[in-house]
Amino acid sequence: MTIIWFLVILFCLIMYIVFDGYDLGIGVGTLFERVPERKRHMIELVATGWDGNETWLILLAVGLWGGFPLAFGVILPHLYLPLIIALFALIVRGGSIELISQTENPPQILTWAFGIASLVAAFAQGFALGELTSTAHVVDGVYTGSEGGFPWYPIVLGVTVAFGYTALGYAYLKLKSEGELRVSAARRGGVVAVVTVVLGAVSLISIAGTAAPLNLATPGRALTFWGLIVFALVGAVTAAVNFRRRTDSHPTADLLPFAGLVVTTVATLLAFTVSHYPLLVPPSLTVNSAVGPYNTMVFLLVGIGLNIPLIIFYHWFAHRTFGGKFRVHETPQARTSILTGASNER
Amino acid sequence: MSLIDLSRWQFALTVCFHMTFPAITVGMSVFLCVIYAMYWRTKKPVYLQMFRFWRRIFAVGFALGVVAGEVITFQMGLNWGIFGAKTGPIIGPIIGMEVVTAFFVEAGFIGILLYGDGRVRHLTMFVSTVMVSIGTILSTTWILAANSWMQTPQGYTVQNGQYVPTDWVAAIFTPAFAWRYPHMLLAVLISGAIFIAGISAYYLVKNRSKGFARRSLSIALGVAALLVPVQLLVGDGLAGNVDVAYQPSKLEAIEGNWQNGNTGWVIFAIPDQAAAKNLVQISVPWLGSAIAKDPTGKTATPGLDNTPVNDRPDMAATFWGFRAMFFASLFLFATAFMSVVLRLRGKLWESRRFHKYVLWTTPIGIVAILGGWVTSEAGRQPWVVFGLLRTSAAVSKLAPGTVLFSVIGFSLIYLILLVAYIVYIVHTVKIGPERDDPRVTADLTPGATVESESAAPVELTPEVAR
Ligand code: HDD
Ligand code: HEM
Ligand code: HEM
Repeated sequence: MTIIWFLVILFCLIMYIVFDGYDLGIGVGTLFERVPERKRHMIELVATGWDGNETWLILLAVGLWGGFPLAFGVILPHLYLPLIIALFALIVRGGSIELISQTENPPQILTWAFGIASLVAAFAQGFALGELTSTAHVVDGVYTGSEGGFPWYPIVLGVTVAFGYTALGYAYLKLKSEGELRVSAARRGGVVAVVTVVLGAVSLISIAGTAAPLNLATPGRALTFWGLIVFALVGAVTAAVNFRRRTDSHPTADLLPFAGLVVTTVATLLAFTVSHYPLLVPPSLTVNSAVGPYNTMVFLLVGIGLNIPLIIFYHWFAHRTFGGKFRVHETPQARTSILTGASNER
Repeated sequence: MSLIDLSRWQFALTVCFHMTFPAITVGMSVFLCVIYAMYWRTKKPVYLQMFRFWRRIFAVGFALGVVAGEVITFQMGLNWGIFGAKTGPIIGPIIGMEVVTAFFVEAGFIGILLYGDGRVRHLTMFVSTVMVSIGTILSTTWILAANSWMQTPQGYTVQNGQYVPTDWVAAIFTPAFAWRYPHMLLAVLISGAIFIAGISAYYLVKNRSKGFARRSLSIALGVAALLVPVQLLVGDGLAGNVDVAYQPSKLEAIEGNWQNGNTGWVIFAIPDQAAAKNLVQISVPWLGSAIAKDPTGKTATPGLDNTPVNDRPDMAATFWGFRAMFFASLFLFATAFMSVVLRLRGKLWESRRFHKYVLWTTPIGIVAILGGWVTSEAGRQPWVVFGLLRTSAAVSKLAPGTVLFSVIGFSLIYLILLVAYIVYIVHTVKIGPERDDPRVTADLTPGATVESESAAPVELTPEVAR
């Protein structure tokens, strides 16, 4: 049961990183987009889905809380600052995005707030993941403090994640947009994807210097780990190549960058899990020492586990409704202003 | 300020900020669903106009509600890590059920509700509005179950310092839940209705978009007139059956007496917690006894001195939280009562004085809800889980400096967002529903035919006609 629930939580983490990753990434992209219409287009695209994407983060947190209560009580205070900053950013982002898409001429500052908050959230999340490799002191199941020191590894990972999300964002844009927006997303996305791969390699090497180095002691672990890393590379190369391609010669060229990057993300996360399991936080917080009581696990697996197919369906349904290329002039807001002109502005 | 005070302030600010939005959005989501059904059946343009306009108000509130809610979930671990670790086996799964049965439903369909117009069929739109309101109501249900367990815990044993569930049915359906859930559900429906009524009254006062405003006002006040009296009864039952029976210390703090013996009811007090007396106190004779259902005026209300000093909640917060809810209830009752009288006399749409009053009381439901929560949470102190876990023993051992940083950050962000939200509402209300009139902006839903010749009274305002 411990392992099943651990896998459920891992699944939530993956869903969150892939889905909120693309929408945070598009947010970062708006910072570098000068044409106002394209900016608006990008924001509207995020507006249709961000809420559902972030719900995976909530399930991740609550799943950890119910299933591994001790870990919840230790990890969160341990990652206090980066998580608080990520939350600041997510609040600002959620507020600004809906204010932008509900008003006809949103003030510039909102668009900037949206872009910057996306970038900060991405970086802070990477930073938080990186902090998981530093030591947390636990006495009798109670968190009592963290090991100090200059957090260079979290910074590396923060930058990597910010780039990775941005690459996902451009890949998603290429999939969902047309015309010039698609061209520019393809051009920039390719570059960002390559940078991400390089940064990923740097993080992989430098993790050896942290309190949670890779544990590849048994051949089985080592083999799985390197296998997954190869997968990740293949995904990234596919993505980088297909960012450049055009759909007229390669019909799948719009889909493959996103698909490739998803493979990369999933494989990387799995690789890191394999190389650390069952350790959650060094030195000694493990899955087994943190797991909740039997009655709780049964309730979780039945109540929440059985609902997971359903929530995947909702998630799919929401994305499907806005399937195909997303055209911004179809949104009611924009249409209103076209048809009524200035007459309603009083 | 100490670590614990900082964490408490941070938590109180966050929940109050969050609570403001469900107070608007739960009721409004149900309203939207009804309006859309009416539009779908009658095809009268005014209903589409109402749907589009109220949706604008709803959308931003909903988004702010979502992000503030995320913050609370994390704070249970960030600032209250020990609370998180000890209660996780019980509260974690309950809130987990909320996530899978409510949040994913809301989140999956909200995109369609907000942006589906013109892209999906009427049926899909309608189903989405229904799903979103079901989601918000389920969310209210689960969160109340979680919080009620903290008020009257049962169905658990203690193992290694953790509260371990032994009987899930008992843990979910606690005595507090039985009363607090209906009280809360009615509360959000009422505050949403009053909010809608207030904005509609603005247009009647300003003589704009009357067809739109009359229908909205009439529906909203109808709901309020039905629910407010019920709410007063439920509130009374809640105090009698939960607080008297399980949390006497809360009740004593609510009543505002230190010594036993007062048969009056305190309407104003400035308590001094350290000296255990009220610096100033105004009390209405006989009323206290009457509220305790003894019209002879002999029953006295118990005082906080009955509770040992270490187990006393802060009287000022509890007392004034309750008074805020209570005095707001009087306004709500007045609104409900007057609306019925005016409706019977056929004057609901004419009485300008009444419209002005309704406009001024737009946020009164939210005030009642925040006051109510302060009562129940501050009155539960010094316990987080009543009788089991003290708040001071539940707080994460963080450096006070980091917590101070986060308190300041959250306060600034909430303040800015609250101001932005109010500015947005005022701006949207001033622009008005005219731009949402389907005769100005047609319904582009696939297969839709708007009866533009129908008799629905959708006047254009002078501004638009010009
Ligand atoms: C009236 C009922 C009510 C109460 C007492 C609370 N909430 Fe809430 N919450 C809602 C009613 C609601 C809602 C109506 O379902 C929201 C508000 C607006 C919205 O977007 O959904 C929501 C959103 C919301 C979200 C985002 C959901 C999403 O992504 O759709 C989270 C994580 C929480 N809440 C968590 C909490 C926690 C931890 C609370 C306890 C302190 C809490 N809420 C009190
Ligand atoms: C499952 C739901 C809830 C849980 C688990 C919960 C938990 C807590 C905790 C841990 C505290 C800290 C103790 C303290 O600050 O003194 C607290 C305080 C508080 N809560 Fe809740 N709460 C819940 C729901 C709510 C809601 C919905 C509100 C609505 C606004 C609310 C309002 C408050 C307030 C105002 C305080 C501060 C009281 C004080 O500091 O004296 N709570 N609650
Ligand atoms: C005069 C009538 C009312 C009485 C006697 C009353 C009584 C109470 C009491 C005793 C509590 C504390 C519950 C506890 O934690 O033990 C409470 C909480 C609360 N009340 Fe009221 N109430 C009244 C009217 C209202 C109205 C009109 C609203 C809102 C529209 C409202 C909203 C709330 C809320 C949101 C809470 C906190 C949630 C909870 O504890 O369940 N109340 N009420």
